[in-house]
Amino acid sequence: MQRQRSLLALILVLVIGAIFTIVQVPTRLGLDLQGGSQLTLQVKPSETVKEITPRVMEAVQRVVEGRINGLGVSESVVQTVGEDQLLVQLPGVSDPEQAERVLGGTAQLDFRQQKPGSEAQLAVEFQVRQELLAKQAELQKPGAGNEAALAENQAAIKRSNAAIAELFERTGLTGENLQDASAEPASASGNSWNVSLRFDPKGATLFAELTKSLAGTGRSIGILLDDRLISAPTVGVQFAQTGITGGGAVIEGRFTAEEANDLAVQLRGGALPVPVEIVENRTVGATLGRDSVQRSIYAGLGGLFLVLIFMVVYYRLPGAIADLSLVIYSLLTFASFTLLGVTLTLPGIAGFILSIGMAVDANVLIFERTREELRAGKTLYRSVESGFYRAFSSILDSNVTTVIACAALFWLGAGLVRGFALTLGLGVVVSMFTAITCSRTLMLLALSFPALRKPEFFCPQVPASNQSKAEVTP
Amino acid sequence: MKLNVMKRRSLWWSISLLIILSGLVAMAISWTRPDIKAPLRPSLDFVGGTRIQFELDCTQPNNCDKPINVGNVRELLDQQGLAGSSIQVVGQDQRAVSIRTKTLNVDERTKLQASLSEAIGKFDPTTTQIDTVGPSIGRQLFTSGMLALIVSFAGIIVYLSFRFQFDYAFMAIVALFHDVLVTVGMFSILGLVFGTEVDSLFIVALLTIVGFSVNDTVVIYDRIRETITLNPERHIDDVVEEAVNQTLTRSINTTLTVLLTLSSIFFFGGETLKNFALALIIGFTMGAYSSIFIASTLLAWWRKRNGQAIPAMAAGSPALDASVSSEDA
Repeated sequence: MQRQRSLLALILVLVIGAIFTIVQVPTRLGLDLQGGSQLTLQVKPSETVKEITPRVMEAVQRVVEGRINGLGVSESVVQTVGEDQLLVQLPGVSDPEQAERVLGGTAQLDFRQQKPGSEAQLAVEFQVRQELLAKQAELQKPGAGNEAALAENQAAIKRSNAAIAELFERTGLTGENLQDASAEPASASGNSWNVSLRFDPKGATLFAELTKSLAGTGRSIGILLDDRLISAPTVGVQFAQTGITGGGAVIEGRFTAEEANDLAVQLRGGALPVPVEIVENRTVGATLGRDSVQRSIYAGLGGLFLVLIFMVVYYRLPGAIADLSLVIYSLLTFASFTLLGVTLTLPGIAGFILSIGMAVDANVLIFERTREELRAGKTLYRSVESGFYRAFSSILDSNVTTVIACAALFWLGAGLVRGFALTLGLGVVVSMFTAITCSRTLMLLALSFPALRKPEFFCPQVPASNQSKAEVTP
Repeated sequence: MKLNVMKRRSLWWSISLLIILSGLVAMAISWTRPDIKAPLRPSLDFVGGTRIQFELDCTQPNNCDKPINVGNVRELLDQQGLAGSSIQVVGQDQRAVSIRTKTLNVDERTKLQASLSEAIGKFDPTTTQIDTVGPSIGRQLFTSGMLALIVSFAGIIVYLSFRFQFDYAFMAIVALFHDVLVTVGMFSILGLVFGTEVDSLFIVALLTIVGFSVNDTVVIYDRIRETITLNPERHIDDVVEEAVNQTLTRSINTTLTVLLTLSSIFFFGGETLKNFALALIIGFTMGAYSSIFIASTLLAWWRKRNGQAIPAMAAGSPALDASVSSEDA
């Protein structure tokens, strides 16, 4: 009895915890439910970049992230999928055309020369942009939710970028001439980092010319990625005679390791002339998504309701107990979704609803066994006990096989398919717990009330000869 | 209720064969049809293309006065060189249109959208749906789905061989093939008759059917194993007959509860999930059928063929095999 009581307490704690979680933690809805665009970008090899390596992918991903920032979408996600694809999720995007245009091109890295007389203006413009970017980061935080302010700020950043770009003129030196960029420590001892560059022969000549004309003037080289200034180093006076020759250069900026690496990756991204193509676009309007959620919720409740009714009608008292543990099951499963940060998609909801139907299976197995034992003339208590005991191996085997199928789907499937596999698999695992522990504890609790210890509450046609025996309790 | 599973096994087997054969015929017909050229009618997910769905914005004055006319839309598409696209007017009061074309890039799509809007009325962007799928994505979806199917078959065989014996595992897989074949065949027929298409969710449905219907088989096998351990001297036909009948109520009730939730998805769920639910309804029903009538009878048939009809005797004295198999019904 002591064990029953502590189990009962555990179940109660879990249920309260689950309800608390569901109320407190917001559920993450997939793009098919909240509306938005999901794009798959294919990174293609080119003449110069024949193989897509993880290093290439990292650089391309950085470029794409930069472009998305330029779009001003909050809570966007960029993930590498497989070896050469990027998955981009843009929730709530109302203008997928613009997004596609901006994301689909090859990165443009350009080395430009600052126009004479623009030194003071550059400092001012740069300051303005820093402030706007800080504000943007603030607005893009999850939950900030002010789309209008975000859009307005975005437009301001765009103007600011254009104003900065105005101050530089093209030199003909572009990303195509840059062979590599990497972060390196400035000195053996200090923790300051530099970014080193290497140009091809044509680039080396152009770079030498550029640095020669800028050396000692205080004007800077503008390094622009997709028309956005990412760095503006100046050239020391000592290079005024020849410029920086040899095709190698170092940007010294007392960077931290992280900053240096970030700049190097951005430069590499722009240096790679790898075309990016949008191979998949799934856009769902916000209202359409909301409609799907609503209908799926109705379907879920409808399905659950039908199952609950069936169980009580067919299995009577045990059916009612199974219903209770089914409700507990639904609460626990939903809470574990939110805790694990499962993004709920339409197929995910289907997996959940289906798992409700399947969660009943374990209970049905147990109750059928209990009935058999009762018909065989065992006492009520022993019938219930052995019903649980003897059904266990069937429940275990059948659930493990379902989990195997889910695991295969999760590892090999993509996107929506994985959501379904995860919710169904998780549901099956939780249902093992509720069917065996919850139903059993509640059943034994019910049996502790003499009024409920009637075999006809368990099985409609127990042979009369068993009636007296069934009344005996251990 | 009592079923004569073993005695009438040729009947059960012929029913299955008949359904599978009609499915295979439908697949062959689909394959030769120029508009399908595949065993099943593939959706955008597998062949690539662009599908756009627009709905008129009814908050605008006079925007929703008349239903969308397919003829107008077709004329417009023809002008843009998109003849042969499929056009469907959908939604309440025919105020939405769904168009499926070859893959369009951003500019082509924007142009189409603009001219449609001009001809028909203003669209509501919050109800717009755009799907563009490149052909390579479709191939990936297909291969990863097939791979998942094979891996889960292998996983199930290994697990069941470990928990039961290899012949149990093998017959369970045969039953699974049966369920998958029937479902695929049915959708091939649906594709021919109603133009039903299969998308990536269909592969998910097949895998779920595999996971669920093996469930049913395992429960019956579990009973067979238990009975054999308790009464090793009984004939396998008897054992199977009894095990199936003992678990019959459970099989029916479980399938029933799952079908309840599925039909609720089918009738009330979103449009996307309709075919998914239908595939599961067919697959699960066949899964229950194959567990009861195919997997169990095949196991008995196989054991008899191998002289293991009575486990106690087979284990003790293989010389008696001949006399045992003479008892075959």
